[in-house]
Amino acid sequence: MSAHSHVDGQLPHEPEKATLEGRNKVLAFWLFLGGETVLFGTLFSAFLALRHQVGDGNPTSQELFQLPLVAAATFILLTSSLTSVFAIQAMHNNKVKAMINWLIVTVILGAGFLGLEIYEFYHYVHEGHGFTTSAFSSSFYTLVGFHGAHVAFGVLWIGLLIAQVFKKGLNTVTAPKIYVAGMYWHFIDVVWVFIFTVVYLMGKVG
Amino acid sequence: MSNQHSTVEEHGRPRKHEGPKKHIVAFIFSILLTVIAFATVASGEINETFTYLVLVGMALLQVFIQMAFWMHMKDRGHMFAIVGILTGVFVAFTCVLMAEYWVWW
Repeated sequence: MSAHSHVDGQLPHEPEKATLEGRNKVLAFWLFLGGETVLFGTLFSAFLALRHQVGDGNPTSQELFQLPLVAAATFILLTSSLTSVFAIQAMHNNKVKAMINWLIVTVILGAGFLGLEIYEFYHYVHEGHGFTTSAFSSSFYTLVGFHGAHVAFGVLWIGLLIAQVFKKGLNTVTAPKIYVAGMYWHFIDVVWVFIFTVVYLMGKVG
Repeated sequence: MSNQHSTVEEHGRPRKHEGPKKHIVAFIFSILLTVIAFATVASGEINETFTYLVLVGMALLQVFIQMAFWMHMKDRGHMFAIVGILTGVFVAFTCVLMAEYWVWW
């Protein structure tokens, strides 16, 4: 089926699913996200097992964590998830310019989140909470840092996709890439929901 | 509806595009659940067990909303997507249970 050869040169309704390759890409990405779930599951379990192993004199989670900073980071990432939804909707409505603008907003918010996290880690190290301070600190940095690395990768990835759309336009080849990047971004947000719940809020409770 | 656009497909059948409305509703719900979770901890007056229950409940609800609406999991044709994610969740959940109840037995 040559779904992308439209008479008027317009893109099909859902360009990411117009070709078999595009559909396969979306399905394979879901399976990849299943694997990512396992990866984060193991990091979460390591953190849960070690979160009370602070050692003598080292800062505890109650002393370290500041809820306003975490709330700000949460709000930024949540908003960026919404803007990436708007980007996909703009794509479905064939509004390339709006799509690019929403993607740029998403990337900026992602970079803002990263900035907050870098500041946070810098602050913790100054409070005597280094990577090798305690089992708690090692598992904390591994889990939260892995999520941060995912955000950094997403910022880079979506940034490159914006450049590619500028160069090649929106078509049935580039559309699945953008759709899949949007899924990735939502997944990062979903992982953060568990991080702020399990690491920060439960860490504050005890 | 003003927030639903329609285009004419090749067969002349109009296709409805979904508007941003339900995504904004999902966003507001996410914010609300987050605020409840933070407020429960920040107030510091509610007992520990109940706080944990509220936190886990809010997180699961928020993840469900985001996956259903933002990741389109509720749309048709997501059978294998759900199987793939649930397989991952099953392994992850087993790991978490192991860490919580077995490591420091």
